Amino acid sequence: MTKENSQPGEARASGASVADTLATDSRGAPPPLLQQQYQFLGDSDIPCSRYTSQAFADLETERLWGRCWQWACREEHIPDVGDNYVYNIGPYSVIVVRSAQDGIRAFVNSCTHRGTRLLGAEGVGFSPRITCPFHGWSWSVEGRLESLPARWDFPHVGDDSHDLQAVKCETWGGFVFINLDPDALPLAEYLDVMPQHFQHYPLERRRVRLHVQKILPANWKAAQEAFMEAYHNFETHDAPNGANAQYDIFGSYVSRFIHNIGNYSAESLADYPGNKWRDPPLTENQLLQSLSVFGLEQEEVPAGETARSVAAEDLRRLIGKALGVDLSSVSDTLMLDSIEYHLFPNMFFFPGITVPMAYRFRPNGDDIDSSIFDLMVLEPLPEGAEHPEPPEPFKLSVEQSYTEVEALSWLAPVYDEDTGNLDLQQQGLKASRKPGITLGNYQEARIRRVHLTLDEFLKE
Amino acid sequence: MSIGEFSRVAGMDELPRGASLCVEVGGREILLCHTADGVFAVDNLCSHAQARLCEGKLKGQKILCPLHGAAFDVRDGRALSRPAIRPIASHKVKLDGESIMVALGD
Ligand code: FES
Ligand code: FES
Ligand SMILES: [Fe+2]
Repeated sequence: MTKENSQPGEARASGASVADTLATDSRGAPPPLLQQQYQFLGDSDIPCSRYTSQAFADLETERLWGRCWQWACREEHIPDVGDNYVYNIGPYSVIVVRSAQDGIRAFVNSCTHRGTRLLGAEGVGFSPRITCPFHGWSWSVEGRLESLPARWDFPHVGDDSHDLQAVKCETWGGFVFINLDPDALPLAEYLDVMPQHFQHYPLERRRVRLHVQKILPANWKAAQEAFMEAYHNFETHDAPNGANAQYDIFGSYVSRFIHNIGNYSAESLADYPGNKWRDPPLTENQLLQSLSVFGLEQEEVPAGETARSVAAEDLRRLIGKALGVDLSSVSDTLMLDSIEYHLFPNMFFFPGITVPMAYRFRPNGDDIDSSIFDLMVLEPLPEGAEHPEPPEPFKLSVEQSYTEVEALSWLAPVYDEDTGNLDLQQQGLKASRKPGITLGNYQEARIRRVHLTLDEFLKE
Repeated sequence: MSIGEFSRVAGMDELPRGASLCVEVGGREILLCHTADGVFAVDNLCSHAQARLCEGKLKGQKILCPLHGAAFDVRDGRALSRPAIRPIASHKVKLDGESIMVALGD
C-alpha cells in the first residue's frame, strides 16, 4: 500500500515517515533536519551512454572537472607553512600549499618552463620551496618564481610572467576546495544551504580517524549513485529500513537523504516480495539487537521506550567517553541516523555521530569504467583539542575487500555489499538495448538532480 | 668506527615521537626518525640530488625531501615517489636504555 497522489513525485511509502520518527524521538533534532524540501524533477530515462561513452567522459573532463569546486584535502593535512597536498583529478593535478599560517594557495602542478609535473605523488608533501626536478626552476610557496638557473638565457622571462599558475582555493568545514576555472563562482554560492545547516554539526571540529581509498569497477557516477538512495537496502543489504527514507533537494548543487536507523515500518514494505519483516514485524527488542554491531551495552528495550531511544542514549555515553566529547544533548537522529548531504558533483558529508563519513568519487585517470572512492571517517574532536595528523589512506584495489581494513569494523561488510553490484551494473549498462536507466520519482531524485546540474556544466 | 658496529649516537630525550634528528656516524650524516613503529636510521642525503632530508619533514613512516618532494619509507629506505627512484641506505638501530645505538649498514 502506498499513499497515492495525483501528481508525480508525491507518492510515498506507507508508515511512519522520517519526520514522524524525528517528531517522536527522545531528543529534538536541530532545525535543518526537520526541514523537508523535495522537488519533482521529471521522470524521463537517463541515457546509459552517460556512463559508458568516451566522448561523454572527455566532455566531463573539460567542462565539469575543469570547472567545478571539489575538495582536495583536509586543512589538517597541511598544518605547517611549506606543507602541501597533491590532488589529481582525471588528467589534471593541483598542488595545495600552506603558504602562511593562515594562508592556503593552490597551483597547477606543472612547471612554467617546459611543463613538467612538479610534485609526483598524490597526497601529503613538504616543500619550503617548490623546485622542478628537470632544470631546477623554483618557486616560493606563494608561487613566485625565485630561481632560474642560467637566467641570462631567458631575457624573455619577465619578473612575474612565469609564476606558478594559480588555482582557485577556498575552505569550508575543515576541507580545502579547489576549482580549476579562474572564473568560477565563489565556493559560498555553490555550497548553498550547507554552511547554514552545518553550523549545527560543524565538520571543522572533526578529525580524520580513517581514510580508505578504493578503486571501484564502475563509472564515477554509477559508483556514487549507489550511495544516493536507500531504496537498495532491502535487496543489497538485506535490511528492512530503506523504504521510509527522506529525500531533499536544496537547489542545483546540494541534496540530502535522512535514513532512520533503529526503526522501520512494516507497512513501508507492503509490496516487497515475501513476508520478510512484515509478518510478523520486528519487535523493538529485535531492532535493538540489529544495532548490536555498534557495541551497545543495553540488551533490552524497557517498556515504553524504543530501540532508537535506548541505542541513542547508550551511544551518547559510549562514544562520548571514547572520544572525550560531551554528546549529552545530541539529538537521536544525529546520534544514530545515516544523514547524507551531497555536494555536486561528487562529494558527500555525513553530520551524524555513529555514521560520520565523508566521501568523494572521481574518475580513475582516464578510465571511464572505473573510479576512485575516498572514504573518510570523521570523528568529533574534543573541545579545544588540536587536529592530529591525519592517517595515510589505506589503498584497496578492485579485488580487495573492505574487511581488510580492520578499523572499518561493522561498516566493512556494508561497503562490500554496496560496491559489490558495481561491476555488474557497469557491464550491464554497456550491454543494455534499452537506451536509458529509469529512476524513481522520489527515492532516486537526487541522482536526477546531479545529471541535470551536470548538463548545465556540459553545455558550452 | 666500522661497518656493522653499534655506537651511541643520541639519547631518546633528543628524539620525541614524530621527530627526526641528523647525527654523524663515522663522518657520515645519518637521519634518526622516531615513528609510531619505533626508531629508524637512514642516510640523510636524498638519493635523487643529495638534498639534506633533515630539512624535509617526517610524516608517519615517510621522510619527505625538501627539494623535489620525493618520499622515502624510513623503515627500509625504499623510494616511494618520484623523482627519487633509488632507495636511501637504512641502518640498524638498537635501544640501550636511554641511548640510541646505530650500526651502519653499507
Ligand atoms: S621543465 Fe621545469 S625547470 Fe625545466
Ligand atoms: S633531491 Fe630529494 S627529491 Fe630531489
Ligand atoms: Fe548501501
